[in-house]
Amino acid sequence: MKGKRIAAVLLSAAMLVSMAACSGGTANTSSAAANSQAAPSSADNTAKKLTIWAWDDTFNVKAANEAKEIYAKSNPDVTVNVVSMAQNDIVAKMNTAFESGNMDGMPNIVLIEDYRIQNYLKSYPGVLSDLSDITKTDKFMDYKLKIMTENNKVYGVPFDSGVACVFYRSDLIKQAGYKDSDMQSLTWDKFIEIGKAVKAKTGKAMINVDPNDLGIIRMMIQSAGKWYVDADGKADIANNAALKEALAIYKKMQTEGITVTSSGWDAGVAAVNDSKAATAVMGCWYASSIKKAADQSGKWAVAPFPKMSNVSGSVNSSNCGGASWYVIDKVPGKDTAKDFLSKTFASNTDLLDSLCKDISLVSTYKDTASGKNVNTPDAFFNNQPIYKDWNDWTKNIPAVNYGTSTYDIESKMTEAVQSIVKGSSIDDTLKNTQTEVEGILSAAG
Amino acid sequence: MNGNQFPADGQGKNQMWKTSDKVTHHTLEKKLNRWGWIFVSLSAVLISVFVFIPMVGALIMSFQTGKGVNAHFGGLTNYIRLFTDQTVGKALGNTFIYLIIQVPIMIVLALIISVLLNDDKLKGRTFFRIAIFLPCITSLVSYSLIMKNIFSNDGIFNQMLAHIGLSPILWTTDPFWAKVLIIISITWRWTGYNMVFYLSGMQGIEPSIYEAAEIDGANAVKKFTHMTIPLLKPIILFTTITSTIGTLQLFDEVQNITQGGPANGTVTISQYIYNLCFKYTPNFGYACAVAFIVVILIVILSMIQMKVGGKDNQ
Amino acid sequence: MKRNKTLSVLKYIFLAVLSAVSIFPFFWMIISATNTAAEVNAGKLTFGAHLAENLSSLFHSDLHFGASVGNSMIIALITTVLALLISSVAGYGFEIFRSKARDRVFNILLLSMMIPFCALMIPLYRMFGAAGKAGLTGIGLNTLFSVIMPSICTAFLIFFFRQNAKSFPKDILEAARIDGLNEPRIFIHMYVPVMKSSYAAAAIVTFMSSWNNYLWPLVALQDPQKRTVPLILSAMGSSYTPDYGMIMAGIVIATLPTGILFFMMQKQFVAGMIGSVK
Repeated sequence: MKGKRIAAVLLSAAMLVSMAACSGGTANTSSAAANSQAAPSSADNTAKKLTIWAWDDTFNVKAANEAKEIYAKSNPDVTVNVVSMAQNDIVAKMNTAFESGNMDGMPNIVLIEDYRIQNYLKSYPGVLSDLSDITKTDKFMDYKLKIMTENNKVYGVPFDSGVACVFYRSDLIKQAGYKDSDMQSLTWDKFIEIGKAVKAKTGKAMINVDPNDLGIIRMMIQSAGKWYVDADGKADIANNAALKEALAIYKKMQTEGITVTSSGWDAGVAAVNDSKAATAVMGCWYASSIKKAADQSGKWAVAPFPKMSNVSGSVNSSNCGGASWYVIDKVPGKDTAKDFLSKTFASNTDLLDSLCKDISLVSTYKDTASGKNVNTPDAFFNNQPIYKDWNDWTKNIPAVNYGTSTYDIESKMTEAVQSIVKGSSIDDTLKNTQTEVEGILSAAG
Repeated sequence: MNGNQFPADGQGKNQMWKTSDKVTHHTLEKKLNRWGWIFVSLSAVLISVFVFIPMVGALIMSFQTGKGVNAHFGGLTNYIRLFTDQTVGKALGNTFIYLIIQVPIMIVLALIISVLLNDDKLKGRTFFRIAIFLPCITSLVSYSLIMKNIFSNDGIFNQMLAHIGLSPILWTTDPFWAKVLIIISITWRWTGYNMVFYLSGMQGIEPSIYEAAEIDGANAVKKFTHMTIPLLKPIILFTTITSTIGTLQLFDEVQNITQGGPANGTVTISQYIYNLCFKYTPNFGYACAVAFIVVILIVILSMIQMKVGGKDNQ
Repeated sequence: MKRNKTLSVLKYIFLAVLSAVSIFPFFWMIISATNTAAEVNAGKLTFGAHLAENLSSLFHSDLHFGASVGNSMIIALITTVLALLISSVAGYGFEIFRSKARDRVFNILLLSMMIPFCALMIPLYRMFGAAGKAGLTGIGLNTLFSVIMPSICTAFLIFFFRQNAKSFPKDILEAARIDGLNEPRIFIHMYVPVMKSSYAAAAIVTFMSSWNNYLWPLVALQDPQKRTVPLILSAMGSSYTPDYGMIMAGIVIATLPTGILFFMMQKQFVAGMIGSVK
């Protein structure tokens, strides 16, 4: 009997503790947030140790390392640690750290994909530093600045352009009976027409698609100045004419049999490197992946992004991906981090120009257009001045509001696209998706 | 959940405190009772702190909407959204497919292997046993990466298919084959593990029982279904429950082999919760609501399994 | 007689096929660890000469693989020791001092086995975050402590030790009590030595699950130098250009400790595991 009573006491005590701990938990987090909002001491701000997170060893990590070398010349007393991590891991860590208000172990400078930044700015105000004083708004491309501006403050230093283009195998297109000039000012109808010829004449697919990655659809709708959400951040799916047309094109490419399917980034690259597809419609940063097949040097060329002829406002320019540098405000060393960025990615044209050569960077810093490397033709791409072309095309990218939930919506869209490809009606499927996306957005608000 | 499932539990409470002297009996019982609480308290506290308190925290969060600094009480919003969220349906569906197809396949396979290996006259017995157990030493992430590599669309498996003139299977881009791949992978990893339990259980069965049955004219199948399985019932129940819980929490494999794709074709509940928190725009409140559905499902399922499995063990 | 012979041949074929299927991924892993990424992708099925190269790029990459092996080892060892200690004491307590009240507590603790870890992740993260913020350095996020703590006491292990304690002969217990030994001493001097195989089995299970733990360390550890082996492997696998030669070499290294442990303690593992379901 006694045991029973003790157990009862123990249990109710445990319950009480849990309750207290939970309310205490919320209290703690809010007080933690309050603490961290108090300005850290200036000594903290000028700490001499910086950490930078980025995710692609052949691209942005390399860029950060070059910036580190340049900065070391003028600031030998600062140690900079560049850490390469999978992008998924960086996102996971930011989500947890920002949500809990605990910045232990977070870096000073982090690279954030443009699609995601709105969410961080809106949901966690104050977490990222205001960089208005180092990012000169007249020096960077507008479409890039727009997404990192909140209440007239600029929170990031724009990095790479994701200007979309068609990488194509000149040799395969010619075998199919078309010329390089046919690839200019493409429409998707023409693209499919050429794709059918390529398939018929060479047996190769025109394009590689990944059912998990709707990059191509995002590029198509952005070419028409549209997105999954409208300018106010409201779901724009069911009545989005550009999206419907993009889906119709996507489906047509599959039913016409001009696609090859792969899953995952590396498999997609492998498909292109193994000559399984005659084109890759991607952001310009894909160049480094294409160049991995050194034996294909001279066979590749780059053309502007195809437009959708049935959608008014669709232009031969779009964007895919792209990222920017941000400073996490609560991590000691904020002023040093800002100094680092201001002397490197925010102003140093020499750095940006040499990155053009080293990592095929297409910068969104306007002054790089006159750089030496930017105007040098690329031998791999049959001596086409690709960097200059990309620079020109970047100017025409329609600016859109990426909203706060690109990847949540994308996940729903992959399901929609799959059922559309299998034969469901586009209108009905999108109506359904609209409801789901509204659910996501209302829960996020 | 009342301990019935473990037959030895049901009997002989307090059997070690038999003493003739009533007074001593009382003080001894008191003393032992105190020791009892001392022995179990640390673990009870730890589990409360690291499981139950967070669980209550998650329950509270499941009623909150908004994120970051905007979080506020949102009533049943998250739970209502569950019913319109088709990905939840998909994730539940996938998880149940893995459960209903994979767990029985694995258990039957493990049982058959065990029966075959439980034969002293079998040559190469040790080799077979080690070979089949070998997958268990790999970590979940490791073997997932190996499987991903072997079964990628132009991986070694499809290259072998091409060698013998078959067309490749789109393991990672076709929703059906992607699920098959996950099932194959889990079965590969865990069959040997379960086999170890059955094999040892069978070694504990007296050979004379089988001999008697043979005299009565029972064939191999009959011996298997009428004797081996009933005798191994507690072990089978144990492995079924642990496999069920494992499958319902499936994460590492799907995350590292297919990332839940194609188009959420292999996504599991655990992974969807992870995505909601760490891949998408974080929505911890909603993620907690999804998690609570799983808690409820797991409790119901385990109770059913124990009722079914424990009934005639009384 | 003839039918028996075919049956027996079929039996061998069946087992041989299963063994081949079980072994092939290992074979592939080891072969690939000695080949370059390009050779792995091309499906080369023979040993190559690139093992040293793969190992060197593995240990010299920015991912701190060497440090991660150390981290994983420390975490797994501490977790195993603590988990065995705490859970065996509890399992013993629940079985030897049975009472209705404690049975009830036990059943409640068992429920914790059914709560999916991902449901606890966020509150746990906040808890450790708050601990770190409260000035308790060393036990906040991003510390080995935060990875170790949630796994040192699991209902599974308590259940396991409780089931094993059932086979502990009760007359020894009474004899010891009559001799005047107090309860902790009975536990340490009489129970622990007898239950060696239970401890061995539990050690293997705990070490393996700690060594292989992925989800919680992924969330709790931010500092790249503190990451564990599965995190590094997963990061390498999801990079833009995975080098499968190097990854396979990493997997071989990640598999060695659990493999060695298992084959060293196989007998005890089986004996202990069976004790838990008897």
